[in-house]
Amino acid sequence: MTESITRRRFVQGVGAGAAIAGLAPAGGLIGTAQAAGGPVVVGTWGGDYQNLMDQYINQPIIKPTGYEIVFDTGQDTARKTKLLAEHPLPRGSMDVVALTRAGGYEMWKNDTLLELDPKKMPNYSHVLDKLRTPYSIPHIYTGRVILYNPKYVKDKPTSYNDLWNPAYAGKVGVIDIQYGTTIESAAMIAGGSMSNYEPGKAKLLELKKAGVKIYPTNEAMAAALKTEEVWMCIMWKARGVMWQNAGIPIEIANPKEGIVLYISDQVIAKNAKNKDGAYAWLNGLLDPAAQIQFAQNMGYNPTVDNAPIPADLKARIEFPPEVTYLNQDQDYLAKNDGALKDWWDKEFKA
Amino acid sequence: MTSAGAIAWRRAGAMAPASLLVLAFLALPMLLMLRYSFNSFVPGKFMVEALTLENYVKLATDPYYRHVLVLTLGVSVCVTLLTLIVGWPVAQFLARTQSRHKGLMLLAVVLPLFMGNAVRAAGWMVAFGREGLVNRLLEAVGLIEAPLQIMFTPTAVIIGIVSVNLSYVVLTLSSVIEGIDRRAEEAALSLGATPFETWRLVTLPLALPGLLAAGVLSFILSMNAYATPVLLGGPSFQMMAPVVADQVLQRANWPFGASLGFVLMLVTLGLTAGANWLVGRRYGR
Repeated sequence: MTESITRRRFVQGVGAGAAIAGLAPAGGLIGTAQAAGGPVVVGTWGGDYQNLMDQYINQPIIKPTGYEIVFDTGQDTARKTKLLAEHPLPRGSMDVVALTRAGGYEMWKNDTLLELDPKKMPNYSHVLDKLRTPYSIPHIYTGRVILYNPKYVKDKPTSYNDLWNPAYAGKVGVIDIQYGTTIESAAMIAGGSMSNYEPGKAKLLELKKAGVKIYPTNEAMAAALKTEEVWMCIMWKARGVMWQNAGIPIEIANPKEGIVLYISDQVIAKNAKNKDGAYAWLNGLLDPAAQIQFAQNMGYNPTVDNAPIPADLKARIEFPPEVTYLNQDQDYLAKNDGALKDWWDKEFKA
Repeated sequence: MTSAGAIAWRRAGAMAPASLLVLAFLALPMLLMLRYSFNSFVPGKFMVEALTLENYVKLATDPYYRHVLVLTLGVSVCVTLLTLIVGWPVAQFLARTQSRHKGLMLLAVVLPLFMGNAVRAAGWMVAFGREGLVNRLLEAVGLIEAPLQIMFTPTAVIIGIVSVNLSYVVLTLSSVIEGIDRRAEEAALSLGATPFETWRLVTLPLALPGLLAAGVLSFILSMNAYATPVLLGGPSFQMMAPVVADQVLQRANWPFGASLGFVLMLVTLGLTAGANWLVGRRYGR
């Protein structure tokens, strides 16, 4: 018979190893509860995202309250693995964890997250209804759109179908790390749905036949758009706005199939050492002034209703009232993500 | 007088600290990974303890992973041959030169090792881009009219890995060539051998252990290359090390990542030992 999850032993082994090697800080990270104040470990993506959080949330809002924010920078898969591995322990190594909406849902289903108490976050009452969950605070959000170069794409795209227009064959790019959303977009115009990406596969193979270009990262796609190597791609609107700011010759079009939301969540680990500090941090993330900074610096929409952004910026990052917003089917994604990635690697990219 | 047994014990004692370090920091983690490779993966559950061969069966039966392994082997063989061919003349020149700038030349060979592979690959990315140095130069001299697609091709990866491995190969070869007695070559020449015959019949066989060592080094480095194939090969060019990293870092599938890692290690070790044995048998080493 197999025994469920060896995480306890795994983490104990790692902890013991660290202790033997003298790596465990004296009286520190392993196994001590925190009094008021003290360190709050925030597992997050690095780069601009972390810098802005430090500059507009940590320094002005959290530091004066006596909490010391420690950023644990890395990719979200590593953070999910840590949450799962540390789940059986009374105290985990992270207090707050930044995850995508799908990642947060997966961790919630695995019982690793704390159900949030909105009363402990005064700013929570301003969170937009469409973004709420019982276990996360939505930090920033945007939606999926089509980016195109108006010099070559004369008619503004209105549907994901326009990427399949033979006139643009060989001039459409997709991004390797966005495999899930790319298959999902194809499914939306091929008879699939948010709960069935299968029809998107054949549709994507047509695009492959037409000579689609595959780029490893968002940044590689930005470079290809700048050099006009490709004219069209699927992307998050916030990125499109940032790329426009960087002088990349693109316009943004909303697909009529609907705007799929991208939400960057932050959650509290069930075994967080400093839960009060974690709540203080989450409340800080929803601070209106900080939310405005994320809109200005990264092109993401505020997740609260009390953060007015300048009209010109609002016109660029918000969506018109007539668009339909779509949420991903997190159950479907949790079950099928691995298989979708397999198909992407073995069939589409091969 | 000290007995042979006592000397052996003293030698063992001297080797003990290093051996224990290797055991603790290399062998034990690998044994742990070997154990993980027999565990099961359930999406969203990290790892389920088991004793199953399913990861190895998947690896052996799925054509995708066989293709990745074959591609990695092909690239590594190409890179190894190229580094030996390109590296030999440089190594021979360095070994034989009487120039007072020899130290500076050696430094020039070592210099690329001062920066990481990723930084070097980033440099190649700038050179290989559509608007990059190589395309601009070729356009300027009229060899091409439209920019060539160099990035994200096997050529880019092979050039990138060769540039990484060349320093190791040149240094290994030149130290061996330097150890060859020049009088042996001079004797061959004075007995009527042409310079090529001298090289083929005297220098090459004498340098063979060094050639093998340099080749093995280059082969192992290529088999395990990560940054260069990721950055220069693009998303569709899959070599083993990036695929292992993808399983562990992107999919959190440690059992399958561990089994891929072990197969990569075993294939590399097996081929290296095989080459050693073949060369030894052929030249009676």
